[in-house]
Amino acid sequence: MHPLERLVNLVALLLESRTPLTFDQIRSKLSEGYGHQDASSAKRMFERDKDVLRDIGVPIEVVSTDAWDVEHGYTIDKDRYYLPDIAFTPEELSALFVAVRSAGDVSAEEAVRKLLSGADRGILAGLGPPALGGETDPNLSRAAEAVAEGRRVRFAYRTSRGDRSDRSVDAFGLAVRGGHWYLVGLDLDREEIRSFRLSRISDDLEIAGEGTEPPEGFRAAEHVQAGPWGPGDAEATATIAFAPDVAWWATEGVASAETVRTLEDGWIEVRVPWSPGEGLIPWILSFGPDAEVVEPPELRSEIIGRLEAILAS
Amino acid sequence: MPPEGGGHSGATRKAPEKASERLRRLLTVIPYLVRNQGTRVAEAADLFGMSEPELLADLDLLFVSGLPPYGPGDLIDVDIQDGRIWIGMADYFGRPLRLTRSEALAIYLRATVLAGAPGLEEAPALASAIGKLAEALGQETLGELPERVDSAADGRTPDTLGELRRAATDHERLRIEYYAASGAETTDREIDPEEVFFAVGNWYVAAWDHRSESERLFRADRIHAAAATGERFDPRGLRGAGRPLYTPKEGDVRVIVRLRPEARWVAEYYETSREQEMGDGRLEVELPAGRLEWLERLLLRLWPDAEVVDPPDLGERVRELADRTRQRYG
Repeated sequence: MHPLERLVNLVALLLESRTPLTFDQIRSKLSEGYGHQDASSAKRMFERDKDVLRDIGVPIEVVSTDAWDVEHGYTIDKDRYYLPDIAFTPEELSALFVAVRSAGDVSAEEAVRKLLSGADRGILAGLGPPALGGETDPNLSRAAEAVAEGRRVRFAYRTSRGDRSDRSVDAFGLAVRGGHWYLVGLDLDREEIRSFRLSRISDDLEIAGEGTEPPEGFRAAEHVQAGPWGPGDAEATATIAFAPDVAWWATEGVASAETVRTLEDGWIEVRVPWSPGEGLIPWILSFGPDAEVVEPPELRSEIIGRLEAILAS
Repeated sequence: MPPEGGGHSGATRKAPEKASERLRRLLTVIPYLVRNQGTRVAEAADLFGMSEPELLADLDLLFVSGLPPYGPGDLIDVDIQDGRIWIGMADYFGRPLRLTRSEALAIYLRATVLAGAPGLEEAPALASAIGKLAEALGQETLGELPERVDSAADGRTPDTLGELRRAATDHERLRIEYYAASGAETTDREIDPEEVFFAVGNWYVAAWDHRSESERLFRADRIHAAAATGERFDPRGLRGAGRPLYTPKEGDVRVIVRLRPEARWVAEYYETSREQEMGDGRLEVELPAGRLEWLERLLLRLWPDAEVVDPPDLGERVRELADRTRQRYG
């Protein structure tokens, strides 16, 4: 008998049996599968099959079949086996499909197929194309486990500046920003909530016991900072003129940028938020000769100073 | 950092399959076939990510399976006629297995990433779908996760996203205005968009570019305007989701720069082909580049935190750029 056939029969047998079955009962009912060998190799084969079933998530349970706890039987709890019906709308199912149906993440694909298989065909008519790449961080599922279970984790971390240190963190939450995942939690040495970009965590994130509870009203995303590029929070404003080619791109990248006017040569003046000392100067310089600070004067002279230093280098 | 290529191509999964994998798949396909009698073989194979011969081989085994005593009336009834599948006597396989914890986490995390992607039309549906999922699976499967996973709004919403996705579905050629960062210029071109996907925080379009007569990847937020042309195209099968974001080309220049701590973010933001610690906090990286304009501008913004090692004349080009920029200020 093909192993797959034996496994299918075993699942069917245990799902349909009203009472738990002992191994001997299973062996006699499924004699094609387990009857040909001697009892001990048949038992070993059954144990392996049981592991396979548990591996793929079939909830096989062992219960005693007599009051004296001498004999044991096997059973599959239907409530724990069957996926409950979830009343997805066609739009929701299609959206899940869009999120998951692409190369790369086998677990997620398997999950969405299970959801599909509980659906009727009509619902699948308008499935959208896949939209998400297969990038997976090896630490993401471990971090997600830790957050789900409220664990403490330990890992080696490298900051964006390249400094390395070992961290002990109570895993409070996960946030995704700009396509990158961050673990947010209580850094036990620094005694405050910090965020850690998963791609900067070394590959050996390990679970280190029970963690503590996050504070009331905790939201992971609130603890994740923007990247070091782009202008910072507003205190004042600056006016910058952009060449026609880049103006639309430059303004769309900045929340609350305002177009002031279009000049005769097609250049466009834009007002953007500016805090002295923030990242605005590098951002302006990244446009090269396609951008010019109009005001304030101190920002103009800072740019000129920077350019002259480059020329003198 | 952009995803690495390979590792998940269909070809790597063609090794002889384990019985456990086939069982997992079978227990997922059967409920769909039981619920949807008369499903086409091709449709089922496509939906469940298997080839038609794989599906037929699995169904072959199924109809010798069933319940004891395995007489004619106890076996699962599989009937395949005119390319359609009917399954009877398998009510106990009428619903799929519950999601395992790792499956539930995986789908939840991926859906969260996409729900936070700027401008996705399906985002509200996705958010309510994962809400229902969390409710149905409960704490036993997802633990505390639903309360503790967030996506922070970030990134630009590409104005043209809806139009791009529509055109990719309809195979319609588009005329676009594109800001090419590599050359720091906006250009007009006609493209055949094949797939729109979200990766590392941005939307991309895999398309055939008629201007360069080659396959190109366009960042959707850099497409200023997209106009339908009314012309249809035959898809060339370009790869979208999951592909590497930078494809090395012949004639690429290997640029080597040393980054001080303040500039190390460059190594996380751009694709590098080599990274080496200098031991003093600096990182030496090799960046593959087709054109140098974007690198000159990057180096201008990074100064003095990045130092050019190779090509040697790149430093001079950055100074020329600084000079041209300086002249604007009179």
